[in-house]
Amino acid sequence: MGMFDPIKGFGVTFSNMFKKVATEEYPEIGAPAAPRYHGRHQLNRHPDGLEKCVGCELCAWACPADAIYVEGGDNTDEERYSPGERYGKDYQINYLRCIGCGLCIEACPTRSLTMINFYELADDDRQKLIYTKEDLLAPLLPGMEQPPHPMRLGDDEQDYYVNGPDLARGRGVPEGETVETSEEKAMQ
Amino acid sequence: MTIAPDKSATAETPVPEGHVRLTIDGEEVIAPKGELLIRTAERLGTVIPRFCDHPLLDPAGACRQCLVEVEMNGRPMPKPQASCTMTVADGMVVKTQLTSPVADKAQQGVMELLLINHPLDCPICDKGGECPLQNQAMAHGRADSRFRDRKRTFPKPLPISTQVLLDRERCVLCQRCTRFSDQIAGDPFIDLLERGAHQQIGTAETADVFDLASRTSSGKPFHSYFSGNTIQICPVGALTSAQYRFRSRPFDLVSSPNVCEHCASGCAGRTDYRRGRVMRRLAGDDPEVNEEWLCDKGRFAFRYAQAADRLRRPLVRDRETGRLEEAPWTEALRVAAEGLAKARDGKGAAVLTGGRLTVEDAYAYSKFARIALRTNDIDFRARAHSPEELDFLASRVVGTNPDNGVTYAELENAPLVLCVAFEPEEESPIVFLRLRKAARNKGTKVVHVGQWSTPAVRKTFGELLACVPGGEAAAIEGIAEHATDLDEQLQQDGAVVLVGERAAEVPGLFSALHRLSSRTGARLAWVPRRAGERGALHAGALPTLLPGGRAVTDADARAEVERTWGVEAGALPTEPGRDTAGIVAAAASGELDALLVGGVDPDDLPDPALARKALAAGCFVVSLELRPSAVTEYADVVLPIAPVDEKSGSYLNWEGRRREFSVTLEGTGALPDCRVLDTLGVEMDADLFTQTPEAAWDDLSRLPTRPQRNGAPDVPHAQPPAPGSGQAVLATWRQLLDDGSLQVEEPHLAGTARRVVARLSKATAEGLGDRVTVSTGRGSVTLPVEVADLPDGVVWLPGNSEGSKVRASLGAGHGAVVSIAAGGER
Amino acid sequence: MNTDPLTPVLTKRWLSPQSWRISTYEKLEGYTAFRKALAGTPEQLVQLIKDAGLRGRGGAGFPAGVKWSFMPQNEEKPHYLVINADEGEPGTCKDIPLMMADPHSLIEGCIIAAYAMRSHHCFIYVRGEALHCIRRLNAAVREAYDAGYLGRNIIGSGFDLDITVHAGAGAYICGEETALLDSLEGRRGQPRLKPPFPAAAGLYAAPTTVNNVETIASVPFIVNGGADWFRQMGTEKSPGPKIYSISGHVERPGQYEAPLGTTLRELLELCGGMKDGIPLKFWTPGGSSTPLFTAEHLDVPLDFEGAAEAGSMLGTTAVQVFNETVSVPWAVMKWTQFYEHESCGKCTPCREGTYWLAQVLERMVEGRGTEEDIDTLLDVCDNILGRSFCALGDGAVSPITSGIKYFRDEFLALCQDARERNATVPELVGAQQ
Repeated sequence: MGMFDPIKGFGVTFSNMFKKVATEEYPEIGAPAAPRYHGRHQLNRHPDGLEKCVGCELCAWACPADAIYVEGGDNTDEERYSPGERYGKDYQINYLRCIGCGLCIEACPTRSLTMINFYELADDDRQKLIYTKEDLLAPLLPGMEQPPHPMRLGDDEQDYYVNGPDLARGRGVPEGETVETSEEKAMQ
Repeated sequence: MTIAPDKSATAETPVPEGHVRLTIDGEEVIAPKGELLIRTAERLGTVIPRFCDHPLLDPAGACRQCLVEVEMNGRPMPKPQASCTMTVADGMVVKTQLTSPVADKAQQGVMELLLINHPLDCPICDKGGECPLQNQAMAHGRADSRFRDRKRTFPKPLPISTQVLLDRERCVLCQRCTRFSDQIAGDPFIDLLERGAHQQIGTAETADVFDLASRTSSGKPFHSYFSGNTIQICPVGALTSAQYRFRSRPFDLVSSPNVCEHCASGCAGRTDYRRGRVMRRLAGDDPEVNEEWLCDKGRFAFRYAQAADRLRRPLVRDRETGRLEEAPWTEALRVAAEGLAKARDGKGAAVLTGGRLTVEDAYAYSKFARIALRTNDIDFRARAHSPEELDFLASRVVGTNPDNGVTYAELENAPLVLCVAFEPEEESPIVFLRLRKAARNKGTKVVHVGQWSTPAVRKTFGELLACVPGGEAAAIEGIAEHATDLDEQLQQDGAVVLVGERAAEVPGLFSALHRLSSRTGARLAWVPRRAGERGALHAGALPTLLPGGRAVTDADARAEVERTWGVEAGALPTEPGRDTAGIVAAAASGELDALLVGGVDPDDLPDPALARKALAAGCFVVSLELRPSAVTEYADVVLPIAPVDEKSGSYLNWEGRRREFSVTLEGTGALPDCRVLDTLGVEMDADLFTQTPEAAWDDLSRLPTRPQRNGAPDVPHAQPPAPGSGQAVLATWRQLLDDGSLQVEEPHLAGTARRVVARLSKATAEGLGDRVTVSTGRGSVTLPVEVADLPDGVVWLPGNSEGSKVRASLGAGHGAVVSIAAGGER
Repeated sequence: MNTDPLTPVLTKRWLSPQSWRISTYEKLEGYTAFRKALAGTPEQLVQLIKDAGLRGRGGAGFPAGVKWSFMPQNEEKPHYLVINADEGEPGTCKDIPLMMADPHSLIEGCIIAAYAMRSHHCFIYVRGEALHCIRRLNAAVREAYDAGYLGRNIIGSGFDLDITVHAGAGAYICGEETALLDSLEGRRGQPRLKPPFPAAAGLYAAPTTVNNVETIASVPFIVNGGADWFRQMGTEKSPGPKIYSISGHVERPGQYEAPLGTTLRELLELCGGMKDGIPLKFWTPGGSSTPLFTAEHLDVPLDFEGAAEAGSMLGTTAVQVFNETVSVPWAVMKWTQFYEHESCGKCTPCREGTYWLAQVLERMVEGRGTEEDIDTLLDVCDNILGRSFCALGDGAVSPITSGIKYFRDEFLALCQDARERNATVPELVGAQQ
């Protein structure tokens, strides 16, 4: 051990004082996840606010952890939640079981189910960790209205599926906020 | 007979009589003559894809999915052949998709063509996950489609009845549904419309959407009692059920075999449930009984057990408030036991059980009455009945089973079936299907002794022997003299006579049938309407019979039962008890202190008013029930019991065939009647040994059937009633779909019920206008008039339909004289 | 062989004034043959027709005598004779003129044929659109009844026969014999599963023979002229005269009766050559269901064997002639649209296949096709040919396969135009409805 060694030690200390800190001040400030992090699920909406979920249960089928429960329902002209015949009447994800693998969002035929970056899925009550449709539905953005309501953007569901991005622009849905106004536009 | 597929035939194996030798994919097989190639291949383990083919329907060859290459006499046939229409022949060489590139390409090509107009809506389709098209497209289809053009679309879905929805886009036009409706059910209300790619399934109502030229069906919506079968055999999601619509996916469902509780046909079925709730019922496959079919009542009527008002806790009537209050089981059982014991030691207690119990439950009631209540006052016949019927059941019915009695197979092979006071389509739909099959395929002659040419008469290609209600016995007695050809046919080998529950309302009919059967040698079978009647008969839930058909009055039989039950000698009551009417009358006049009632509706009883009076007369009433009823209104103790889905047990169907089923929904806490009675018995110091249905069956099995064949009914037939002016004789029976208590909560099913009308002959209907009011001193029923081929002076009413509750409103039954008058305008 | 190119047998009375009247017919040796026939036995008649080698004129060319001999000898069930007059094939126009000009020859043929197969009821199933023809037939049948040639105890021979003229509702499929029978019974016109064949269980499940109009109309002439006379015309395997219906780009289109085996070159001479001298491009030998021929097939003898050897079929000898102004893909598209419209819908290959083929061809003709589409067309045709329930599916693909076989370049050219036009705009196929 040389005599300058203690000073060297301080050197390390001092040099680090001027470097960018790696510490993240969680939970005061919070920490963003990677862009494609498999966080909490979200049930997306069409540009007029109708739900994209058709209650097909493919997510539940794909789920290796049996964390998803779906029950379909029948849209009527008086009470419509999604374009077309069928909607997800009951939708639950049990985050005690979910392993975040993302197979469910790959299975989703309407891009209703996606994952957002929110990862604070801890609680002290098991019941609270079963998220229901109300918890999972995407927020209503400008241009959207709360279902049930009639189809605003076309005569049948085909119009919704074929012309999604155009419809979103027409309704004034903010850029980058939904599947149609972010990824698909970027892809094109 | 078929040769087992694993025994591959070699050149040395001799070909049995009536068989041929052929080669499939290089393997030699021996197959019975007339077998279709697709089945021979299937026995060999090669599944050829198919859509239109169905083993119980006539071949169609429409979908062309099952093409194979065939070589005959060494010469290959120029085109691939449909294996679902071609029968086996000696020396045939068949190459399926496994060995023939031509067949494989043909199958892939047809699959691609089927998919070009099929929508990609599997995610919202109820068939998704259990779809033959999906499965076969995965197994035999191309990975991608070359179709780049416009698909044919239709608006969807189209309700073709309240319970069947049609999605024409998904339809592959295999015609299974139309062929089923035409061939099996005889209700060709759906048919093909239009042509080419615009060809579609439709009814006359959907045809109206287009033009008159496409009006092909018989002008009625798809109101068939068997429409649910088309949903089950549809190989795509074109026909779906309104009841099951979007309720679940196959992977959510737990399936368990069941036996239908609705009628005495004894159909095998499958119950699918999800998270403790039954989602749907499907037909099982039982070639001996229901083949692969089920009536709509059996398929769709199951939500009565999910009703919100279902009884889940015992109720005891509070002495002060007079209201039923929830009570713990222990208290309810104690109160019930005390009340019953007091009555037993007083003027006596009697037992009324409905006709819907399992054998095990009926046995528990029977044993409970004998050893806990020490009485023979027990009767399962919650309907019109007679002492003559009792003799008939004891001498002709009890103890018959498929080994010694009439079976479905015998019906199918009978040269003649005579249906007396029995409406097969309404009372036992699967018996009806067998009769139609026999008549259609084997030329069985079906003769109906009834009042008018019901749809069943037409659909069994039958003949009506019309008589006045109550005159059936006279008609039967007259066969020898007035219908000699029929009499001769009855003497043929295998001729069968079927008699229904209505016969109990015709004095002398059972006696006449007994004599007819003894004279001609025709086999006689009793087809009750309710599922539990045969079982209750076997279990001895009758005032004159102990279990196994033993007579109450037979000392040896009593001693045998006493030994088996382990009760002291002489413990069993020796005198025959009261029948249902006797019990009701006794209770009403205060001669009984208690009634134990299991699932009986007073309105089913011969005299509903008297029955209500009996319940209200102040005797102690214990009711075992599923849902609140007219009986629980008066009951002192109500004990909740389990519906069929929540218990195990067995029914005896009309053949006497035991139809066993196990618990579908486990762990609901609901108890079967036999368990409740067992515990109640313990409270009364009587050991029934019926803690579980299995234990009850074991106990019953220790009393093998020992029916006594003497004491046949011998009642002279009464003269048919003669109505005066402004009067008519009432003919009535229940329609399959009506206001029955097991059909509640089923609006879709109710929508396909037959129209509720009164039927009269043209002459009788004269001057009545559009509506007729049928009345007795008790009340009246007013219904629209429909003219039919009834004898003059007869009016027919549905027994228990909306607006026509014959027993409750009129207090009369089949054969009663009623007044008729114009019913006025609506 | 006869040197005169024309052999007016069936057509010999057509130009007589009021040729459709019974009086005219009888003047021109009409109603003479059936007297001879009724004097003989049914077996003799069947043998005569077999000896004459008369082959069915409806398209398939099945020997008529053999077909008649399939009828059971007993009369346990009624026997029926059904005349297929549901002429609906594009280009075919021989039966309706025959029934218009000479209905009595058909009726006389019916009497003889019915007698030969022990039938006492004959149905003539006429295409519903041919209302004029139905009226004329009805009038002729009435005349025959009045003359005592139909009804009970015909001319004292003890033979009874009724003829019913039935109007179809205009479906091409009802030209298929079992679909015709279903339609005649009042059902939906869709082909039946065979076996049982009509001779065993046809109309109302009774033994039935279905014959073409021209076949039956030939019978009285054979009875009068004898088998040897009949065999003088035509070829060894395809004897007799035949009405060739020539339509399209020729100077004088119409019906030309000539011996079987006549070539198109000879027929063109008869009808005055190509219209305005524009050269021949392609033609059908027997209606749209028979594969196309081109100018190189001018010398193919038009009989059942000759046409088959050259890769087509004789069909109904409806010769449609097209000159060089006609685009093959367009013509093929029009034919395919016909088959799409007329497919009965019973079996998958024909119902879905024609729907698909028509769309692809329409797209190509509009200039939105690709080279892959040609392969797709051929492969779909292969998936229909021999896979469909009846021959309609086979017929539907022959214009396409033969059109591509002989004129692939024209199809390719359409696609290349499309490729050049769309070179810069990649199309997102399937995204748009």
